[in-house]
Amino acid sequence: MEFSKKLSEWDNGKGLREPVKALEDKWKLVPSFLEVKGLVKQHIDSFNYFINVEIKKIVQANEKLFCESDPLFYLKYLNAYVGTPDLEEGFNITKPTTPHECRLRDLTYSAPITVDIEYIRGNQRVIKNKQLIGRMPLMLRSSNCVLTNKSDFELSQLDECPHDPGGYFIIRGQEKVILIQEQLSKNRMIVDEFKGAVQCQVTSSTHEKKTRTNVILKNGKYVLRHNALSDDIPIAVAFKAMGICSDQEIMQLIGTDDKTIKKMAPCIMDCHNLKIYTQTQALAYIGHKLKLKRYPSAAGKVKTPIDEARELLATTILAHVPVDNFNFYVKAIYLAIMVRRVIEAETNKVAIDDPDYYGNKRLELAGSLLALMFEDLFKRFNWELKSIAEKIIPKVKAAPFDIVKHMRPDLISNGLFTAISTGNWTIKRFKMERHGVTQVLSRLSYISALGMMTRVNSQFEKTRKVSGPRSLQPSQWGMLCPSDTPEGEGCGLVKNLALMTHITTECSEEPILRLACNAGVEDVRILGGEEINHPANYIVFLNGNILGVTRQYKKLIKIFRMFRRRGLISAFISIYPNHNQRTVYICSDGGRLCRPYIIVEKGLPLVKQKHINELKRHLRKFQDFLNDGMIEYLDVNEENDSYIATVEADIDPYVTTHLEIEPFTILGVCAGLVPYPHHNQSPRNTYQCAMGKQAMGTIGYNQKNRIDSLMYNLVYPQCPMVKTRTIELTNFDKLPAGQNATVAVMSYSGYDIEDALILNRASIDRGYGRCLVYKNAKTTMKRYSNQTSDRILGPSRDATTGKVIKAHDILDTDGIASPGEMVENRQVLINKQMPPANVTPVAQGQIQQIEYKDVPVTYKGPVESYVEKVMVSSNADEACLIKMLLRQTRIPEIGDKFSSRHGQKGVTGLIVQQEDMPFNDRGICPDMIMNPHGFPSRMTVGKTIELLAGKAGLMEGKFHYGTAFGGSKVKDVCKELEKHGYNYQGKDIFYSGLTGEPLEAYIYSGPVYYQKLKHMVQDKMHARARGPRARRHLRCVRPPGQSLLVPRVSLVRAGRERRDAVRVQAALPGAGFNEHSAATYS
Amino acid sequence: MFKLDEKPRVFLEEFRVKNAPDDYGMADEKWDFKKFTKKFRIVIVRMDKWEMEFDLIGLQPAFANAFRRLMLSEVPSMAIEKVMIRNNTSIIQDEILAHRLGLIPLKADPRLFEYRLEGESEASEFDTLEYSLKVKCTAKSQNKDTFKPEDLYENHNVYSSQIKWQPVGNQASIHKEQDVGPVHGDILLSKMRPGHELDLQLVAVKGIGKDHAKFSPVATATYRLLPEVTLTRKVSGSDANLLQSCFSPGVISIDSEGCAFVKDARYDICSRNVFRYDSIKDAVILSRIRDHFIFNVESVGALPPHIIFIEAVKILRNKCKTLLEELNKI
Amino acid sequence: MLKNELKLSELPGDDDSGLTCRTYVIKDEGHTLGNALKCIINRYEDVQFCGYTVPHPAESKIHFRIQTEETPALEILKRGLNDLKRVCEHTMDLYETKVKEFNKT
Repeated sequence: MEFSKKLSEWDNGKGLREPVKALEDKWKLVPSFLEVKGLVKQHIDSFNYFINVEIKKIVQANEKLFCESDPLFYLKYLNAYVGTPDLEEGFNITKPTTPHECRLRDLTYSAPITVDIEYIRGNQRVIKNKQLIGRMPLMLRSSNCVLTNKSDFELSQLDECPHDPGGYFIIRGQEKVILIQEQLSKNRMIVDEFKGAVQCQVTSSTHEKKTRTNVILKNGKYVLRHNALSDDIPIAVAFKAMGICSDQEIMQLIGTDDKTIKKMAPCIMDCHNLKIYTQTQALAYIGHKLKLKRYPSAAGKVKTPIDEARELLATTILAHVPVDNFNFYVKAIYLAIMVRRVIEAETNKVAIDDPDYYGNKRLELAGSLLALMFEDLFKRFNWELKSIAEKIIPKVKAAPFDIVKHMRPDLISNGLFTAISTGNWTIKRFKMERHGVTQVLSRLSYISALGMMTRVNSQFEKTRKVSGPRSLQPSQWGMLCPSDTPEGEGCGLVKNLALMTHITTECSEEPILRLACNAGVEDVRILGGEEINHPANYIVFLNGNILGVTRQYKKLIKIFRMFRRRGLISAFISIYPNHNQRTVYICSDGGRLCRPYIIVEKGLPLVKQKHINELKRHLRKFQDFLNDGMIEYLDVNEENDSYIATVEADIDPYVTTHLEIEPFTILGVCAGLVPYPHHNQSPRNTYQCAMGKQAMGTIGYNQKNRIDSLMYNLVYPQCPMVKTRTIELTNFDKLPAGQNATVAVMSYSGYDIEDALILNRASIDRGYGRCLVYKNAKTTMKRYSNQTSDRILGPSRDATTGKVIKAHDILDTDGIASPGEMVENRQVLINKQMPPANVTPVAQGQIQQIEYKDVPVTYKGPVESYVEKVMVSSNADEACLIKMLLRQTRIPEIGDKFSSRHGQKGVTGLIVQQEDMPFNDRGICPDMIMNPHGFPSRMTVGKTIELLAGKAGLMEGKFHYGTAFGGSKVKDVCKELEKHGYNYQGKDIFYSGLTGEPLEAYIYSGPVYYQKLKHMVQDKMHARARGPRARRHLRCVRPPGQSLLVPRVSLVRAGRERRDAVRVQAALPGAGFNEHSAATYS
Repeated sequence: MFKLDEKPRVFLEEFRVKNAPDDYGMADEKWDFKKFTKKFRIVIVRMDKWEMEFDLIGLQPAFANAFRRLMLSEVPSMAIEKVMIRNNTSIIQDEILAHRLGLIPLKADPRLFEYRLEGESEASEFDTLEYSLKVKCTAKSQNKDTFKPEDLYENHNVYSSQIKWQPVGNQASIHKEQDVGPVHGDILLSKMRPGHELDLQLVAVKGIGKDHAKFSPVATATYRLLPEVTLTRKVSGSDANLLQSCFSPGVISIDSEGCAFVKDARYDICSRNVFRYDSIKDAVILSRIRDHFIFNVESVGALPPHIIFIEAVKILRNKCKTLLEELNKI
Repeated sequence: MLKNELKLSELPGDDDSGLTCRTYVIKDEGHTLGNALKCIINRYEDVQFCGYTVPHPAESKIHFRIQTEETPALEILKRGLNDLKRVCEHTMDLYETKVKEFNKT
């Protein structure tokens, strides 16, 4: 009381300190971050690491190849390289290529993998450099891609869009993305409850093996369970097999408190009952529980069960814990910790790990997946070489055996190509079989492509109906977007990265080891169980392996963080304590999620206003902030050991360690498009995330050069009036997908129920919602083994009149439709003919009359198209490839789907003449009328604010911002409206266009950004001429209680909204399509 | 209680628009043509080549609205309807280019032309205007120091001024090129680069806005009701200034004593922001006169605005005429 | 539309009620004529009811109904059209004089 009084006297009642001033324009750090890290940088980084570092490691790990039939023979790989992208044109001739050429010509964008080898030919040692062993599909914008470090102008010369993110592959002309795969982290202990029993599980993963080891509580005893063992092994036996023979030693390792001893007593008893006292006895016991080994060892020497058990313990059980010279001590300590964790978790539920916690997850990227695949293929490649060598060497031959001649690059190339193009990842040595790893890059809009690059796929089974893995985990904060997930079966399992997330690539353990030792970590190998488990000691783990023990864990952590901030160790190494387990974890492995934070010291952020000003003047970059130790990356685990303030005002001088850079970065790319998302009901933002990917607009600056199988473009796309920072960061304002429509929120005519929209005819006439639909037609001209090949003929003429027949009307003399022509249903685009299969090859010089069969490429579709361009080229098999781009221009019609950026989709219910539309004092007619009933239940307040901010922006001639957790304030926006003479609330007087009298209510009106979605009536109408139920034309309403035989080809395929639109037509008096009126008024 | 003069009014309340209880015969007065002519007044306020403002006073909204609707959708004008494409190697697609061309306003007076009837394929000099657009983009002699397209290329922008009129039949003796060409010469049609070429034949016909917005002769034709601001009590001091700021400039003035008075409410925008301030909210009645229409007609360029209005009324008269003729035949 | 096609027809159903009730179908017309004409006819002495509807937005026609006490509906319709014509003519005359006046000053 006395003190606080004095205090307030002393500082004039301000409290201990003034609140921290907010840093202005702090968000500028985000574009600076994206400049270096980019939105798809994680893919590219991981692939770069693979082709520059990991591939060499893999080749080195499998460097030698011997042959059993010739002990002198060997093949040694000295080095491996991945080259630059090129095309093989004939034998040993290559030509550099570009991604766009590969897209157009259905080729694979790949580079040769070459190796330097040393081998024995005859009796000579030969060194051969740059030997081709296969081709590596290249990721666009990776280090070896032609697009890297090119200016916008140079990119345009290569027909590439400068805003294209890259990060995908082109396989046989198709763009493929390797999705980010999420899984539980390897080599970590996870304690969980399985069918009521507590168990500690470790999935060990090394280059050679992938195994799972469990310690389980079974009938009150602890047992070791492993796939290679036919039965559970009592834990005490396992310890004895590892050379910890005395019961006291076992107990010391596990713990000597009363509780532990009590729990362990039955296990120790067990051992005595089995009469196992020595290591040999224990190994013999385990040796008899082994599952039958499938392959007898190559040397043919039969091992004793004891040897086999020892081998198993050393290499298979807890495979990631290294065992040198059969010294199992470290492994025993590891096993003891596992047992201790189980004992702890039995009574203390807090000790059970949450498998959904993101600190326990690792993300696998293209690089590591391809590394797995490549290693498998490389091993198979070597195995095949070996078997060839073994077959051929014993044979006496004229020329000495040259293994290079037997190297088939196809094996590795095709293996990689088919894996990426099918998405089936089958790796035999790990018994891994995954499907759907890759997906075709969706090019519906720029955002859909970008959204796909940040997608994270969970390994979890989609059909299982458990909520745990699907629900939003608090540890996802800032790492994965809370809004962007699909509805339905993939809900919560398919996620998207947030804007500032970075995924680590692994970095070397060597410097960490040295630093840890210098910082006072003692090696466990020289310590006994009692010392290790001393309550004052913390066990230090490095990537899941025991590193040692420390007494001063705080100092250790401090030193590590200081070194990291100084840049002396990698910025992505994380260190954090776990006080319950009395451990310190250091991680340097790949696949961890992390994100940058501003460091706060003594209650003040280290980033000051002057630094931001320097950043604004381009004197400082993001990397400089990292180098100067003002910003650091935290992974999920370390984030949980930090006190992070969201805004400056939240900083508590005594606890806060970090400050968020910008809160809007917790959202991803798709959710970032929504203006004022923090005012919306959360599922609405999720719906928009799904719909933003279906919106048509611009897909890239090179869209006119592409020949895709389906492409939607808007004729006049616009940048939204209400932007967000994310929109600018992702370049959505340069490649937009939507138009600003002047919307009046009112009801009109009854054709607007259930979210239907009313459109202004004049707006449509002037180009609103007009879109282009591109489709392609393609064919190849094959050459057959019997010396025949496909051919193309010019247009056929009618025998009597001599005129070109109608189907061939648009064909040029070369038999291919020419650009600019209009194609109607059933007209021929390419007049191709095929020789029959059974023609026998004839001798040279002879001409044989062959009956060719017509196999024309025809156009199908009720609405005509125009030929935009024709491409004649050759594909990978040297066959002639003809591609044709067909175009349709579509005008909005009743039933076309539109959506605002707030998950409010609706179909066009009616198109109204301009004079029938309501108008305001200034003579403005809305482009679109939206029914106000769309608001109360959806609670999309963000949309109403967007409208207001857009309207004010129009007046001021500027863009307003609706950035998440910020943006222009409603109050300021309203003030602006007032300044320009508009109503403060954005409501205007409107007159009815029908009667000319003022409407009784004030109408809320202004611009809202609307997206045209890809679902259009024209694509959904299917009809047939004959068959039962022919009377059910457009209306497809099932009579109640009556089951219908659904016709094989349904007459109308209608979405829910469209069905409702049809119902609207039917529900109104006098509605119904002409047949009705014709009957009544004759 | 404050007494308002005898006019039909609609009150702009804070949350709704409400008709005054006494509408002085707006709704149920019996029809009398003489009475109508006596009451009906026209005042022209502003008029130039492009735009005009005039008041129609003392008539039913149905008539005013009919005139407005007719100006928007049924007064004809000429617009490009068909585009024959001989060559188009620019990046703009044929249909889009045609659409853009269609929206160009033409100066041609639609009264001098007839509608082209359906099924009539032959173009005649009385119903069509033909134009051609032939542009080819070429590279200029290389100037190393510049990257501006205008220095590098010839014809890299295609403007509406490059459209050339081609008289059909005897048209050259009746019309002059400057009377039928595009209203604006600076409408950008397409951007091109060397090798791109346009060779188009454009056909303009007469049409009405109902068929397509491009045939509408007005940018907009609209009306609003005459606003009226009435002060019910004396407002002075800071409240007077606040009151002034709630209306469009010139609506409220302050006299020498610091009292606010209504100067001219005609150009008030009716933002109703006065209702936001409790101190002055009770001092005003906002209303509009229900039979006083302030028309605003903005011509697209082919016809002067007063002609558009006359044409609109004429169309309504003709509609009655044809129906009457038809009735009389029976 | 062909030139000789009729714009006006009658909707069946009023044959029993004498000449005082009729619903006319006017083709190719909308609110423009319908509303203006209704506005006049509604104010006639003898008219019980007059109204119009656009039965379906996809069709360009209106149903125009007149119910009177005694006068035949057809006569009322004629009178309405005539009056509307006169209104138009008066407006045109007045407007043209005003334009002339304006141009003089």
